[in-house]
Amino acid sequence: MRRRDFLRDLAIATGGVTLGGSLLAACGGSAKTNSEGLPIGTPDNPIKLPVTTKPIADGLPSESGTLEILNWADYQNPESIAIFEEKFGVTISTSIYDTEEAAVAKLRNGTFKPDIIVGMTDTGLAKLIAADLLQPLNKWYLPNFGNVIRGLQNPYYDLEAQYTVPYMIYGNGIGYRADRIDKNAFTNGNGYDVLWDPQYSGRLAVLDSYRDTLAMAMFRAGHKDANTSDPAIIKKAGEDLIAMRKATNPKVDVLAYQELAAGNRDINFTWSGDLLTALQYLPEGVSPDVLGFWYPETTITKNDFLCITKNAKAPVLAHQLINFFCDTESAMLNREYVGYQPALETITIDLLIASGTIPESLIGALVTPEKYDAGLAQVSLEPEVDRLWLDQWTAFTAG
Amino acid sequence: MLKSSHRLWAGFAIPGTVWLIALFAVPFYVVACVAFGTIGPIFRDAVPQWSPLAWDFAQAQQIAISLAAGPLQGVALRTIFYVACAMVVCFAVGFPVAYYLARHAGKQKLMLLVLIIVPFWVNYLMRMLAWVNLLSTDGLFTRFMRIFGINYNWLDGSPVTVIIGLVYGYIPFLILPLFGTLERLDWRLVEAARDLGANSWQAFRLVTMPMSKAGIVAAGILIALPMFGDYYTNDLLSRSPSTEMIGNQIDFFLNASSQPQNGALLVLALSIFLLLFMSFYLRSTGQAARQTTG
Repeated sequence: MRRRDFLRDLAIATGGVTLGGSLLAACGGSAKTNSEGLPIGTPDNPIKLPVTTKPIADGLPSESGTLEILNWADYQNPESIAIFEEKFGVTISTSIYDTEEAAVAKLRNGTFKPDIIVGMTDTGLAKLIAADLLQPLNKWYLPNFGNVIRGLQNPYYDLEAQYTVPYMIYGNGIGYRADRIDKNAFTNGNGYDVLWDPQYSGRLAVLDSYRDTLAMAMFRAGHKDANTSDPAIIKKAGEDLIAMRKATNPKVDVLAYQELAAGNRDINFTWSGDLLTALQYLPEGVSPDVLGFWYPETTITKNDFLCITKNAKAPVLAHQLINFFCDTESAMLNREYVGYQPALETITIDLLIASGTIPESLIGALVTPEKYDAGLAQVSLEPEVDRLWLDQWTAFTAG
Repeated sequence: MLKSSHRLWAGFAIPGTVWLIALFAVPFYVVACVAFGTIGPIFRDAVPQWSPLAWDFAQAQQIAISLAAGPLQGVALRTIFYVACAMVVCFAVGFPVAYYLARHAGKQKLMLLVLIIVPFWVNYLMRMLAWVNLLSTDGLFTRFMRIFGINYNWLDGSPVTVIIGLVYGYIPFLILPLFGTLERLDWRLVEAARDLGANSWQAFRLVTMPMSKAGIVAAGILIALPMFGDYYTNDLLSRSPSTEMIGNQIDFFLNASSQPQNGALLVLALSIFLLLFMSFYLRSTGQAARQTTG
């Protein structure tokens, strides 16, 4: 199918870019595209993605040879991969991506030709679908799919999980060195204020993610919309970040898991999973109790997922790898290295604590089903709104 | 006969011309097409506008305003300041080294040159990562400085660390051309100046410096150009917005935002700025050549 035909079908299947917003609302459709024509689901408007090709047939034999994975760095346990390779007699080759934007661009121009993509989020999914890069999954190969957290078996961004299977879950919060920072600093008043407290100047960092960090400033100010289009709120968040920069000179990166562990910083606004990953990076002889995490009441929770490319050379093997990661034991082994929390119902908080790998100081970094449900979703922004967010981010990062 | 000989010599320019067209002119044109193009409505990637007649300058205007009096002004001024500081330190350290090598190193000249160059066989990124280790709170350098009572967090987003990183990264590219220039100087002229009553500082200021001007300018240009576009020194040694350089903004716009044309516009702005340096260099070398031949 040509891309133009695909986009036409996409428009029909999702309510149509040609339909006005009011008409779409009047239809009471549960699906929508944004003004760009991207199929964006939100918790209020879940989306069933268009299917333009059939899933692979049931009962096909596994392919031999090499399975190509596209993944973030350090986001799979080499030991788990070795077990899978041995079990299926294949070789796994992994390519790394740094940003979803760059990965989608390279998938579109053919630089990356993986069988399976690991770790994309719903904002990336919309682009993958629009570019017709994915194939629908055949659940016949995924008997372990039932282990996935129930609420995520039918996620708002991909109703009926036609293309995706959740991989890890996490929430945004503040990681800190419990041996240097009193945890009461977060509970006395507004915990986010710590990032603005000059006494911690030069000792803290925030995420190099304009959506996460600007949203954090909005939450601190009492707003509860992680996708706001209100120019005044966005501007205020930018101004607050500039005030933070002046007060505490934070670093802006995604290295919390290394830098907190190494003791190079004391406080880091980051993803909860990073603190669990940081345990692997603690210098020898340093107690895991030095790491702590404050999980805010108002914050973003997210999950990423696994999906299979349309032109996968080994689609059966790709299904089997997804099924492998949905197996409780395999997921626990994978988690030991990755740190992040698998999106499986069977991996409960109790099981994680009982595994003896989570220190008491980091129990707060675990995402319970209640925390996950209470978290705010982050979805793609309209271009003009996105520009407002980026303008404020530039004003902050440009110093 | 004369004509065919002329053609033969002109033919030697073909590889260089092809190289310049394929690897400079065409890419530069593509950058301009991206800068004055649009953003794809679905994937928000750059959609180059190949026809100059249809170029859209609205975004360029925004960036110009931002550089002149908006959020990017601070980055631009900071970049100039950091590069200027790094160049001063590079010259302060590098000129004496080059001078010593050219004038006084004697038989050890080759060995010393190799010793200066050897560390730079290691990739720039690896060398900067080594600095990250040395400067971290439990790093060797930090622990060493504590012996003298200096307990400083070098990696807390300090401008000093970024400037040190720039100096360390680029100083060999200053020493080598300077050494080449100083080694070729006619030192008899310096001796003549001393014989005529100049003290050593006067001989240096009035004879050595003017004669090595072309080398100084060339070395300065050689390190200034990459320093202005540098982003990974700051990325690795600071990562603080308070030390953000123009290269970091280009990297952000091109690789992690939905406004890649802003990155391309900043590349163009930086190129125009650097053209001033190149013009100065070409003028200086031209003058030097005329003085030599004249």
